[in-house]
Amino acid sequence: MQNQIAKYRKEAGLSQQELADLIAVSRKTISTVETARFTPSVIIALKIARHFNTSVESLFTLQEHD
Amino acid sequence: MSNHDIKNEEKFMGQNAWFSLFMGVTLLIISVYPLLTQTSAPLLFFGTAAFLGSFCMFVIRGGFTWKMKYHLTYKDEYLNTIDTIAYKHVVLGLLFSMGGVYLFSDDLALEVSHTMMASFYLAVMCLIYGVSILWQSKD
Repeated sequence: MQNQIAKYRKEAGLSQQELADLIAVSRKTISTVETARFTPSVIIALKIARHFNTSVESLFTLQEHD
Repeated sequence: MSNHDIKNEEKFMGQNAWFSLFMGVTLLIISVYPLLTQTSAPLLFFGTAAFLGSFCMFVIRGGFTWKMKYHLTYKDEYLNTIDTIAYKHVVLGLLFSMGGVYLFSDDLALEVSHTMMASFYLAVMCLIYGVSILWQSKD
């Protein structure tokens, strides 16, 4: 599963730690989600989407093998 | 959950991993060294002192037992996930080491006490947990 979180985060001028603080997760959560090593729960996906004022579908994209 | 809680959990996990590694190496020395030197009394004393010293440092310096309130899981989703995976690695490592001991135990039985074997299993568990957490925590 690909995601656009790094793109949205950089456009907002936030560091990983700042985004993590804003949605109350650890920095490692953001780091590993961005690099697609960790698939977050729906709750975290919704929190990130709500923070960037966008939809979950625009942040996460399913790939063929998913 | 507040950001303060999450930072506490991250700090706790990092220190926990290093503590496990330190304990693992200490226990490994305690379990293997007597085989080489045919004596265990001084090393057991040293090992016990090292264990108590590191444990006191861990608890007093971090005060983690109070901060974590004896919770067995992490509230942060990613930390909880890698903690669970680390325990799976521990179980696998323990199974392999027990399998190895099962295969080669006849050669060792006369020289190895139950205490040494118990220390060896604990060392394997601590080492694997520490390495697994540190490996999964890397960016």
